[in-house]
Amino acid sequence: MRGGGHTRVRIELNPQERALKLSTVPEPVRSLYVHVPFCAHKCEYCAFYSAPPSGGVIERYVGALVKELELIAAECRPSTVFFGGGTPSLLTLKQWETVLSAMARLGLSGAPEFSVECNPATVSADKARLLRDHGVNRISMGVQSLDEGLLERLGRVHTRDMVFRSFDVLRAAGFSNVNVDLMFAIPGQTPEIWDQTLTEALALGSEHLSCYEVIYEEDTPLYQQLQAGAFAVDEALACSMYDHLRERAAAAGFQQYEVANWARNSATAGPVVELPGVSLAGIPSHACRHNVGYWRGLDSFGVGPSASEYVRGLRSRNWANTDLWITQLERGRRAKEFAEALSPRARAGEMAAFGLRMNAGWPWEEFRTRTGLDLRDAEWREDLVGLVRRGWVEETETHVRLTPQGLRFADAVGEILIRVDEAPPEAVRAPARTLRLEAMP
Amino acid sequence: MDAAHIRNFSIIAHIDHGKTTLSDRLLHRTGTVATRDMEDQLLDAMDLERERGITIKAHPVTMLYTAKNGEEYELNLIDTPGHVDFAYEVSRSLSACEGALLIVDAAQGVEAQTVANVHLAMKQNLHIIPIINKIDLPHANIPMARQQLEDILAIPGDDAILASAKEGIGIEEILEAIVARIPAPKINPLETFQALIFDSYFDTYKGVVILVRVTAGELRPGMHVKMLHSGRSVEIKEVGSFNPKPYTRAKLENGETGYITANIKTPREVKVGDTITDPRNPSEELPGFQEIQPMVYSGIYPINTADFEGLKVAISKLQLNDSALTFQTESSAALGFGFRCGFLGLLHMEIVQERLRREFDMDIIATYPSVIYRVKLTGGVVKEVDNPAFLPDVTYIEQIEEPIVKAFVICPGENLGDIMGLISEKRGVIKNTETLDTRRVMLTCRIPMNEILIDFHDRIKSITRGYGSMDYEQAGYEVSDMVKLDMLVNNEPMDAFSSLVHRSKAENRGRTLAAKLKEVIPRQQFQIAIQGAIGGKIIARETISAMRKDVTAKCYGGDISRKRKLLEKQKEGKKRMKSIGSVEIPQEAFIEVLKTN
Ligand SMILES: Nc1nc2c(ncn2[C@@H]2O[C@H](COP(=O)(O)OP(=O)(O)O)[C@@H](O)[C@H]2O)c(=O)[nH]1
Ligand code: SF4
Repeated sequence: MRGGGHTRVRIELNPQERALKLSTVPEPVRSLYVHVPFCAHKCEYCAFYSAPPSGGVIERYVGALVKELELIAAECRPSTVFFGGGTPSLLTLKQWETVLSAMARLGLSGAPEFSVECNPATVSADKARLLRDHGVNRISMGVQSLDEGLLERLGRVHTRDMVFRSFDVLRAAGFSNVNVDLMFAIPGQTPEIWDQTLTEALALGSEHLSCYEVIYEEDTPLYQQLQAGAFAVDEALACSMYDHLRERAAAAGFQQYEVANWARNSATAGPVVELPGVSLAGIPSHACRHNVGYWRGLDSFGVGPSASEYVRGLRSRNWANTDLWITQLERGRRAKEFAEALSPRARAGEMAAFGLRMNAGWPWEEFRTRTGLDLRDAEWREDLVGLVRRGWVEETETHVRLTPQGLRFADAVGEILIRVDEAPPEAVRAPARTLRLEAMP
Repeated sequence: MDAAHIRNFSIIAHIDHGKTTLSDRLLHRTGTVATRDMEDQLLDAMDLERERGITIKAHPVTMLYTAKNGEEYELNLIDTPGHVDFAYEVSRSLSACEGALLIVDAAQGVEAQTVANVHLAMKQNLHIIPIINKIDLPHANIPMARQQLEDILAIPGDDAILASAKEGIGIEEILEAIVARIPAPKINPLETFQALIFDSYFDTYKGVVILVRVTAGELRPGMHVKMLHSGRSVEIKEVGSFNPKPYTRAKLENGETGYITANIKTPREVKVGDTITDPRNPSEELPGFQEIQPMVYSGIYPINTADFEGLKVAISKLQLNDSALTFQTESSAALGFGFRCGFLGLLHMEIVQERLRREFDMDIIATYPSVIYRVKLTGGVVKEVDNPAFLPDVTYIEQIEEPIVKAFVICPGENLGDIMGLISEKRGVIKNTETLDTRRVMLTCRIPMNEILIDFHDRIKSITRGYGSMDYEQAGYEVSDMVKLDMLVNNEPMDAFSSLVHRSKAENRGRTLAAKLKEVIPRQQFQIAIQGAIGGKIIARETISAMRKDVTAKCYGGDISRKRKLLEKQKEGKKRMKSIGSVEIPQEAFIEVLKTN
């Protein structure tokens, strides 16, 4: 629960923005994601778009990134910025400076929540301080495990020691909002190992915890090992690890606010970042606002190779090909691989499905204002009644949300609530290999 | 040709004993065909028939032969379907003949199929000319073959002609024996004309081509004729014979065989065994007519439900040339819309399914075949049931009778024990065991037909490593303790898996099916019970445990579109699933189990 007394940051519109608002020009987009497609070494389970950097590719990437930021800057006034990857912390000090000062020049800095993903192997005191100085105020650390054997098993480049050291470095640099990423149900992970990792990770005292079951993505070495029968998936074990996690996290003072996310809720720490039109009631103060925005279906820009965005009804994705993406930007164009526009009904179904991943669920009214459709209407009535009967959903005067049991079946619920467009009305798919780009508004 | 110079005969032989080779020799020797074209199988027309070495359609071939006595004879070779499924058609073809050549492979001896067909020929009082073929083979054993003719078939072994169809040995002698030993057609002192329909096929241009044997008078184009059983009167457009290609003739006379056409577009109006005669002065009907009755039923469903209409067209087309095939629309909760098809027997069923797949490119799945049961209700009414779904409530059933066959199994002596075991496993009773030669024995037994539907023949072949053979003939009905086995998922029956089984087999089958279903039904968020039940009694049970979660993985902005598409795909997939007892079952699961049945 949020008590009184914390600072609220209002995003003031500058005069130019205010003028825009008065005319018919739409609100600027409040969320920005930047994808950094480089990793020192590819992890066994990873299906993100990333590769070890070679030659001067990072240099060229930084140049292109600045160009892409320039192309969207006029429409973007971010309240949340998220640098993900890949390994953003792989950029050198100088490269970070280039990116961050470009953002300042373009009016993209100053976001009340500014997160950067870091690999424990690449956090230096200098870099931490530079990021902090440039307004980065949240760090997400890809820890995954604190067991040396499993770190090796997963192909992670860092050791457990590096985790502890990096954490101290971040704290010393002044980061008071740090997330720790952990994975469970890793092949070879016993309940004892998991418990040990949890004990040590919780002892770090981070503000946020992202814990998720290992996912077997096609085309990853781990998936191939699974297919080849190198190990078996033990669902019962995964379930009990999840249960254990929920208990331990709660005991350590974390509040779960989404299927795979926990955060501290403190009255004293940090500013509460407001999101336009989003009720934050029931969401812990240290929840990642940027992700909350995704689950609640807010508009968001995505730049960098393979980045997705959702802007004014159009979902699109950049080419997952760094060279191609750079080439296009060098020609002054964004490199879109595909774009689609959903019908209002399909869009609302999607928002219902993803919003309910959050423990707070959906306030009926907020859903209605945001989508123009009402979850209480006939369209979803039968589905929701069925879900309530199954014990997966509960409905109150003000909210619809998943029960603890329902949270385990968020996918099944999502499948029931989504609406499939017969033929997506404006689905556009650039033919493979042609470099024609969608003119973005 | 005057009847005294006509001979009508057919050839009886086990697969591979040399029927085709000998027929070709005869055609060649009589100058009916100039050269033997190896590719163009002369008598067996369909690929499938060729592959399986069986004939489904009987085509008569007319040959002219000048005998040693200097006189010319018209020899009509009437090829018969080579399988007991077509026993009725065989019997009609045989009744168009006065004699038959019986081919026995000198190295193999008499086989099961030979026995059944010789029995049929004897019932028709045909004169049988035994031929011991393949005498050129180094391991030919002529005395053994002679002995078997006498012992098993009661045919004097010394009458046998020694031949090699391949080498052309004995061909002359066979032709002379046909002339000398097979009786000429009887002169029928009727005032009118009469002919037997022994087969028919459909020609896109001419309509139904009716194969006939004239038994009195003659048939000419322009004549008005009536088919007594079908009741239809038609005008003959064309008459002719085969050499082996069809050719027209001015008329077909008493004793001759050939074809007539009459612009008939519906094959079902032409019934095998029917009598053709003068509508104004009708003859008696020829003996032995039967309406063709399917013996085995099975549901045929398109795998892709959208192919229903296409399947209907395909089956209708097949039926044009196979009037023994019956079908009507049926629907199943599990498989959607399909057809309940009736077949003459197992082979017929397999052939139809295979032709649908091959010639019509249909993706189909067939349900567990069923024979026809006679269900006697309290009150005395007897109902025929070929689909377990329509079995009346047990409380109204006094007794159920099931069809029995008399089966002949020939196997190497060393496999006798295993074969006897198989027969008793199949609820069969062995009536007779005969030693055929130093190596082989023949078992004659009575077996419920439903027991040989699935794997009986395959198992004989595998026990005997291919050396065994099997044939059967219908042998009436017997009272039997049959029960309806239902498979239930969360207490709802899955109609596609209901079957009528003998009580002694029910538990086993129920368990096997339950175990297979457990493998293919995906886990769901609740526990699923799969049960086999007879009436209210559960005889088999498997449980699919509940899924405890479906998601504990993360999902952020970049994943949303991908994830949504995944959910969309699952949702679309569910549309194609059948919901039985609130359990979602993909159609593929049903198909998987039916396939392995
Ligand atoms: N050695 C030998 N082989 C023969 C003879 N007659 C037929 N065959 C072979 O036996 C096989 C089966 O013959 P086929 O006429 O097709 O038998 P069908 O199945 O009864 O029609 C073929 O490979 C023939 O070449 C024969 O007299 N001697
Ligand atoms: S560090 Fe992250 S993005 Fe890079 S390979 Fe590993 S999992 Fe993938």
